[in-house]
Amino acid sequence: MTFDLQQILASKRAFRHALAARDIVEKLALLDELRARTLTLRPAQKSGRDSQTLREEPTPYRVDTKSNPS
Amino acid sequence: MNIAQVITTINQMQADGVIEGYAIGGVVGATFHLEPVSTLDVDIFVAFRHEPGSLPVSPQPIFTYLAARACHMEGEYVMIAGWPVQFLQLTGPLVEEALADAITVPVGETPARVFTAEHLAAIALQVGRAKDKARLLQFIESGVLDSDRFQAIVARHHLVEAWQRFARQFLNDTP
Repeated sequence: MTFDLQQILASKRAFRHALAARDIVEKLALLDELRARTLTLRPAQKSGRDSQTLREEPTPYRVDTKSNPS
Repeated sequence: MNIAQVITTINQMQADGVIEGYAIGGVVGATFHLEPVSTLDVDIFVAFRHEPGSLPVSPQPIFTYLAARACHMEGEYVMIAGWPVQFLQLTGPLVEEALADAITVPVGETPARVFTAEHLAAIALQVGRAKDKARLLQFIESGVLDSDRFQAIVARHHLVEAWQRFARQFLNDTP
């Protein structure tokens, strides 16, 4: 264990690289598990709207790049 | 809940002629190139079979096909194998090019069509929300991007200014 921030950041980078290098079957299974965990942890919904699906804001994929300053 | 089953279903839908082609985008697409990050849905970009002079393209055949296979609608999503899947039409030149240049990656025995890392990064730059910028940083820090290829996409799709702003904000030491 260390309190050296640079060493901690390097360690985190190495861990992320190791995760990224895993087989895609394993990575997709991790997505399954992450989503299941999120659904388990979500607060109970008071409204009856769309009972089972927890949503993200849909990505606003753009049509015209020139007219959309970012 | 099984994302591999989602891919199998989409492949079958393509083989059955409902769609002409597809590619996985969003966080799930990024997972093919980066470390897995939690997400709640799957973005599938689709190209429809379209006869010249025919009526505007409708996603209805997709919904009809999937409904016959025990998938149901939840708002704008179709639930497949426990995952909310959003089918997205090609909304501009960048995603059209991304679909044309998509790569095939084997998921076990199943082929999956996925956007390249460079196109996913360019789309994140174009969309430009905070979480898209975070994803773009992930791509840059991971070292998976082919810089020449990425810069060519940025230039081709008029994203140079956006890229320069992003670089000033996140890649330089001084603001």
